[in-house]
Amino acid sequence: MKSQSDFAVGLVLSGGGAKGAYHVGVLKALLELGARVDAIAGASIGALNGAILASAPSLKEGVERMDELWNTLASSPPLAPNFPAYLGLLVEVGLRVKGFDHLVKLGNIARDAGLKVPMIGNLLDDGLLSSSPLHRLMDVYFDPDALDNGLPLYVSVFKSRGGLEDLLSVVMADSGLKDSPASEFLHIQKLPKSQQKDALLASAAIPLLFSHRHMNDSIYRDGGMGGWQRMQGNTPVTPLLQAGIKTLLVTHLSDGSLWSRHDFPDATILEIRPQSAIQREGGFKDLLGFDPRKIPSWMEQGYEDTLQCVGRVIDVTTARNELRLSELTLSDSDNQFKRLDQNLSEAMARLR
Amino acid sequence: MTELSPISPSDEICKVLPCLPEKFIVDFANGIDVVNDHLRVQRARNGFSARLYDGFTGQGQRRQAEINASLVDSVEASLQWLTELSRSLARSNLAMTHVKNRVAMIQTALIDLTHYSADTRQQIERLSFELNERCTQLERDIKRIDLVQRANIEIDLVFSKWEAGKFASFSLAGRCYAVLEELRWGAFGDLYRNGSIGERATHLEILSNRAISQLMRDTDEASTKRLDTTQWLAPPHGRDLLPDAQDALAYLGDWSCIIQSPFVHAICNCGHKLPLRMPRICSSERLVEGLVSDIFRVNE
Repeated sequence: MKSQSDFAVGLVLSGGGAKGAYHVGVLKALLELGARVDAIAGASIGALNGAILASAPSLKEGVERMDELWNTLASSPPLAPNFPAYLGLLVEVGLRVKGFDHLVKLGNIARDAGLKVPMIGNLLDDGLLSSSPLHRLMDVYFDPDALDNGLPLYVSVFKSRGGLEDLLSVVMADSGLKDSPASEFLHIQKLPKSQQKDALLASAAIPLLFSHRHMNDSIYRDGGMGGWQRMQGNTPVTPLLQAGIKTLLVTHLSDGSLWSRHDFPDATILEIRPQSAIQREGGFKDLLGFDPRKIPSWMEQGYEDTLQCVGRVIDVTTARNELRLSELTLSDSDNQFKRLDQNLSEAMARLR
Repeated sequence: MTELSPISPSDEICKVLPCLPEKFIVDFANGIDVVNDHLRVQRARNGFSARLYDGFTGQGQRRQAEINASLVDSVEASLQWLTELSRSLARSNLAMTHVKNRVAMIQTALIDLTHYSADTRQQIERLSFELNERCTQLERDIKRIDLVQRANIEIDLVFSKWEAGKFASFSLAGRCYAVLEELRWGAFGDLYRNGSIGERATHLEILSNRAISQLMRDTDEASTKRLDTTQWLAPPHGRDLLPDAQDALAYLGDWSCIIQSPFVHAICNCGHKLPLRMPRICSSERLVEGLVSDIFRVNE
């Protein structure tokens, strides 16, 4: 007997900061195409989008909520500068340029003035941006109670070994020297309610920009950092496969993502990749590009790319199914004709 | 939270999704979009520093490997699908051949059926014709049998009347004439006229024999015993005789001719001069022969 998971479809939402608007377009198109989603895995912004989707009573309602949220984000960016951390960054930058003493003094002056200027060693843990506005948005659009009855949601988180070491591991991975440690995957519904929101924010805690999260005596950061070279953390397919889901819809929020479907030979994977450049200005400008110009364009691009990528598969599958159906019909017809042939032969034998 | 539970093939999901996307089909179709994405990035990163960076980090090689793998997937899927399509086409061609064979078989059967139908129609027409002929013949036979039966009954009836003395008011020859005349106008006459030459002769022979027999009884003489003609023509005497019997005979024989039917003329015109061709003496055989000849052969 086949299990339900043989027919279940998992949705993988990769991380990519403000480019998460792309997910809205993707889901709008999937909704139009009549696709079903039985479980969700997300990293970073994908985790936050996934949480909204999973806690909605239906896919349609979830997409509408995401659309509303991202239109709100376009009109009022969720990221507020974390001034103490910003000053800390200036200290660090100045440290290299102008000498340690002067900048330490500058830091001390700032602290004396009542500002929370972090010590240089803590800079990478605190982050340049405050996630408080994001918290507030999550409070509006994310319903932890509804999530319990919603779709299974998995998020990737990266267990921090210290801010500097985390950054170094990513840099080394990006330069091809050594891959970063693998991300961990959390089944949100299996966490205590008090930890669920922390886990989601931890998944989106981009180092340097957002502060890390503490859970169970460990520090966690953006799940996209783990398994950097093969996007193990940023495109979290593994938890869905471990849950027995073999059919996956995978979205990417970067041009030419080096995540490879060939690493998962047992799964049927449909990737939704940008068919034109998803990059607008590049780097952190796109990552934090919550502005009314970029968000609608990413939403539109996600919609168009999904129609193309999924539509192509649907067309081919439809053609194949029609071929099979015609063969079955032909076979049935042939069997029917065989009986008629026999009857005709018998009738003609009587006549002759 | 939604739990994944086992389902059986009879569940609704299996009816809604009879054929979930096959992996090789998804790899085949989706691989094009994957390759497009990588190629676009690959083309964009053609600057020196980008090429140096990609070469140093190995990303260029990994991207190319990914493109290659997707292309290989596509080729393999194409091969698989082409193979399946070829098999399907072969099955379709085979099915078309079967259809053509069936059409040929049906045409053959139709030809046989048409011939059979035409033959059957001819047989039915022939049978109908023969049956019609047979029925007509039977009808004729039945009519003839009926006529023979009625003629026989009539002969029996008329001769029984003669035997019973109903013609006693007539002369001996007149009795015979009256009987023959009555039979000529009745069923016997019809039977005689519709018979062949041989049949006519037979009918007349039977009739003659019975008339001779009755005359032998009336005269109490042999059939060859010649009597004077006046004896044959002499009116009877006695009681209970019909007074106008001779007039009736004259009326019956008004058609007679003295030359062509001398016997009848002599009987019907009793008392007049005998015709020259009327024998002056004759036996009962000769009398019957003459009367039969006058009455039945007068119009031949």
